Amino acid sequence: MPDAAIECRDLAKSFGKASSALQGVSFTVPRASVCALLGHNGAGKTTTINILSTLLRPTAGSATVAGFDVVRQSGEVRACIGVTGQYAALDELLTGRENLTLFGKLRGLRHRHARRRADELIERFDMGHAADRRVSTYSGGMRRRIDIAVALVVPPRVLFLDEPTTGLDPRSRRDVWDLVSALRHQDVTVLLTTQYLEEADVLSDSIIVLDSGRIVASGTADDLKCRVGVSYCQVTPADPVHLSAIAMALADFAGADCDALIDQQAAAVSVPAPDGVVTFGEVFRRLDGLGIELVDISLRRPSLDEAFLSLTSPAVTV
Amino acid sequence: MSALVALTLRTMSGTLRDADLLFAVLAPVGCFLGFTLALGNLIDTGGITYPQYVLPVVVVQAMLFGAMTTADRAARDRLSGFGVRLRTLPISAMVPLAARMLYCLIRAVIALAAGVVVASIFGFRMVGGLGCAVLFVLIVLAFAMAVCLGADALGSRIGSVESSSQVLLLPQLVLVLLSTGIAPAESFPAWLGPFVRYQPVSQVTETLRGLAAGHITAVGLAVTTAWCVTLLAVFGSLALRMQRRA
Repeated sequence: MPDAAIECRDLAKSFGKASSALQGVSFTVPRASVCALLGHNGAGKTTTINILSTLLRPTAGSATVAGFDVVRQSGEVRACIGVTGQYAALDELLTGRENLTLFGKLRGLRHRHARRRADELIERFDMGHAADRRVSTYSGGMRRRIDIAVALVVPPRVLFLDEPTTGLDPRSRRDVWDLVSALRHQDVTVLLTTQYLEEADVLSDSIIVLDSGRIVASGTADDLKCRVGVSYCQVTPADPVHLSAIAMALADFAGADCDALIDQQAAAVSVPAPDGVVTFGEVFRRLDGLGIELVDISLRRPSLDEAFLSLTSPAVTV
Repeated sequence: MSALVALTLRTMSGTLRDADLLFAVLAPVGCFLGFTLALGNLIDTGGITYPQYVLPVVVVQAMLFGAMTTADRAARDRLSGFGVRLRTLPISAMVPLAARMLYCLIRAVIALAAGVVVASIFGFRMVGGLGCAVLFVLIVLAFAMAVCLGADALGSRIGSVESSSQVLLLPQLVLVLLSTGIAPAESFPAWLGPFVRYQPVSQVTETLRGLAAGHITAVGLAVTTAWCVTLLAVFGSLALRMQRRA
């Protein structure tokens, strides 16, 4: 397999004349890494996954998965991918074990081999207690787990996870995160979509932020945070009457009006800290000289949420 | 090939649980009993007993019921996550269709057997010999296949699982109730006569009735064969087209 497990070049997809879901998306996912497509509903995440998993043909551009062209070599692509969609793709009337065996056989395993593989996955995914109940009786978390297991029946080279934790409770979400993290060590390349920044941060080696069918940013979580702005230093005095004294002492850091530095709600003073710890040390020394009692002084980086919000246009609420 | 078997078995074990196979047995039994007990003494069927007269339409109706469940299944395979996942597997797009059709044939055989068994208790007999019996079965299965393909195309096209079988409810009722399967054409108002006489359910049931009794006309057989072949060709190509569109 080539070094790039997934490669998209100027991928575009429009549905009819009016709406274009993707407008020239290009990215590369290195082999055995986890990449997250991050964006609001309608940003084009699922469309991208559907094109890469051969469910949709791109209107323009090209893409390869495991070195195969998704349009011209769709059969070869299908042979080496695993897909889980936004909704669990299982036969509700069958048990978890039967679903696993069925998909094993559909992927070309012989009956006995498929049964054995199902047993293995049930054990690995810790589903023994539920494996012989019908899927229709499963909780959302169990459904997800068996759904991901089904995508792994024949170990794929590239795994697509479309919003793998949407609608799960925090504990089940953790379970899915553990599963995905474990894949990294098995030479599986994972492309997942998510609306949760925390998830992208925890799981992925690289993040691609999509907005209205375009890539607005990409890189590691740290890259994205840096792109949004510099860190700042926040000082909280024990008594809020000292806020203006502190702001006065630190005014030259901001080059701005003292009052603008004061966050009345948090009862704190914030100044930009472009030089990180160096700025922090300088702030500390000056305040020490003032002799004001402080409850907290901290260096803060913008959160991923702030990064995400500043990169994308507001979510369309339907 | 093994994918086809696996998918068909999956449908079988599913329908054993959601009772579709049970319904496949109960529907012809119930309809036969209903028609025979309610209408048996009211309708003048000429020389033959009412069980002998009505069994063919009971079987044909069971095939139409089968088509309705096929529409649901096709819609579900198209819309559900399960069906979407099938399209990401390294199997032909035709395999899910073929599996649905294989299931249809199995269901048809079961329904046919159930109808014939219950009618036999009430005096229905296949008196035409082995050749006629074989032809009887072949025509039933060809008709079942044709309507299932049509229903499959519809189910694959239509937007929701809920509505696909409802759409077929009315045509099914009209074709069965306004046919010579339940009562001879003379029992219907004159203006309905031509429709009742020439619509496919009437043609097929009359040929089946003839085969059971052991006397059929070449014209009747030709018309029935023509209906089956035409429906198979039209619905078959539609069903195939729908899979390619997917």
